[in-house]
Amino acid sequence: MEHKSPSPAPTASSGVQGSPLSGCPDSPRRGGLRILPPFGRHLWIRRRPPSPEALGSAPRRFQAASRAWTSRALLTASPGSRPGSAEREGGGSTQWRAEAQGEVLPGQRAGKMAAPMELFCWSGGWGLPSVDLDSLAVLTYARFTGAPLKVHKITNPWRSPSGTLPALRTSHGEVISVPHKIITHLRKEKYNADYDLSARQGADTLAFMSLLEEKLLPVLIHTFWVDAKNYVEVTRKWYAEAMPFPLNFFLPGRMQRQYMERLQLLCGEHRPEDEEELEKELYQEARECLTLLSQRLGSQKFFFGDAPASLDAFVFSYLALLQQAKLPSGKLQAHLRGLHNLCAYCTHILSLYFPWEGAEAPPPRQTPANPETEEEPYRRRNQILTVLAGLAAMAGYALLSGIVSIQRAPHARAPGTQALGMAEEDEEE
Amino acid sequence: MCNLPIKVVCRANAEYMSPSGKVPFIHVGNQVVSELGPIVQFVKAKGHSLSDGLDEVQKAEMKAYMELVNNMLLTAELYLQWCDDATVGEITLARYGSPYPWPLNHILAYQKQWEVKRKMKAIGWGNKTLDQVLEDVDQCCQALSQRLGTQPYFFNKHLNIWKFTVHVLSKSGLENFEHYFTIMPTELDALVFGHLYTILTTQMTNDELSEKVKNYSNLLAFCRRIEQHYFGKGSSSIRLS
Repeated sequence: MEHKSPSPAPTASSGVQGSPLSGCPDSPRRGGLRILPPFGRHLWIRRRPPSPEALGSAPRRFQAASRAWTSRALLTASPGSRPGSAEREGGGSTQWRAEAQGEVLPGQRAGKMAAPMELFCWSGGWGLPSVDLDSLAVLTYARFTGAPLKVHKITNPWRSPSGTLPALRTSHGEVISVPHKIITHLRKEKYNADYDLSARQGADTLAFMSLLEEKLLPVLIHTFWVDAKNYVEVTRKWYAEAMPFPLNFFLPGRMQRQYMERLQLLCGEHRPEDEEELEKELYQEARECLTLLSQRLGSQKFFFGDAPASLDAFVFSYLALLQQAKLPSGKLQAHLRGLHNLCAYCTHILSLYFPWEGAEAPPPRQTPANPETEEEPYRRRNQILTVLAGLAAMAGYALLSGIVSIQRAPHARAPGTQALGMAEEDEEE
Repeated sequence: MCNLPIKVVCRANAEYMSPSGKVPFIHVGNQVVSELGPIVQFVKAKGHSLSDGLDEVQKAEMKAYMELVNNMLLTAELYLQWCDDATVGEITLARYGSPYPWPLNHILAYQKQWEVKRKMKAIGWGNKTLDQVLEDVDQCCQALSQRLGTQPYFFNKHLNIWKFTVHVLSKSGLENFEHYFTIMPTELDALVFGHLYTILTTQMTNDELSEKVKNYSNLLAFCRRIEQHYFGKGSSSIRLS
């Protein structure tokens, strides 16, 4: 991306293109303080990694400053709004410097004491930051834009403010739980990854998201929740292990029923005999969809050039789940592995934005050979301890209830056996 | 658009006749094929296709936009018809139940309404207000409008293989490359036309949906153009109120 010098001219000419997706009616920010390069490795090199939430919040907003928001916003913009935006920019640049010193948290605008936004989402597993599709999409989007979110990774959906995950508690205290609305809210708060998209690209985003929802989502639900082998060995296992007692007994089953219902309604009513055909058709369409995505991505780093957009967040969440989870029956997984540019795309995003999650994956893979030998000594020890504990309990009960009593004879001749012998004689009498 | 001879027949029990429960469906010889996707594939298998000249990326985009239309416009139409109380009470129940005698008309209409409401809930539209739905329609129309731009159809300049082959075979050289590209409509144009035309010409209690579409002049011009070209009407039935 080229640097733009701060001047009113570029805004006027580039203002014709606007992203239809940013719903913010705010006045356009002007001046191109586009000092910082777009996302990616440059960001890592230039700034020593601060807290994860601080990633690149500044550059996005500065990039935002160089172009108008939407065509609508441009129409409503008035010259009077410019000084105001320039002030905010000035505040922003000092913030960035302060942030580089690690003092001010990004997102806290100078002078405004707003509570940070909190995101509740499912915790991570299988080498991913989150195992749930929606949570992963929202998390990825937040990482792309560097929104300062306090992320709570929980495994108990009842703990979240809205009862479902993901949920966002905004700085004003309201709770949003629909993923699209969460992203819209983030956009309104000026964390917009689609800012640099042309109108046509924005339209393409909408179209491809619809494609994902219609073709890939049913199959993903089917793969993880309906396919018996996958469900029992992977999905239910993870959720049952992760959730606290006593939720792990009934909540995974309930979730499965909800997903199955959703799948049925999505696909329409089909007679049970056609289920296999339906499955084949679904998987066929999903494979086509993956191929289409691969063709659209081509050899680019992201779908719209070099910077990630919201479409990338959604596509990544779908593909990453498919790629990373170790599914016993993964027909779609095999097809995905054949599309190398999509695999590289996933790994690229994972390594760039979630590097520490990826580190969790290797250790479990290295130890599968050892668990048995490691468990052995523990198992043996546990067994011995159990037997000893049982014996001690039995002996204690026997002594306490008087079946066996040890009486100390006044002169200790043969205390042990004689005493026992006398005790037994007493009993017999 | 493919110049296929068809006869349109309207039946009250069309939904029940269709193999998948959805209209439209075509009856060809002894085969019955329903829904746009399978019909397009069926026609393609018989040798007629509108999208042969598109390259892979364009085909991907076309499929994506078709899904967008299905996702947003179709769902919005269903919502307006069945979940908006004013419209339901005044128009939909009466219209849907009109071919049947009492009490069947009420029963079937309520059953359909319950089904549609359940589907809306499953895809997350159950809690949407009418304004939010209209907002979504507006976004969708904006996307379509921007994709269409000033072109006559959504995908232009796709290679006319026939012309190209003839020209190459006649060894006339490859000048005038523009000559090989024709401007032809594709399935996406047919789908968009179908939805927009219905929205624009159906009378509802609430005209806001058609107002949203009318905001985009290139979409209106697109509809008129197709109507006049393919349905041969002298004057358009799209009214600008």
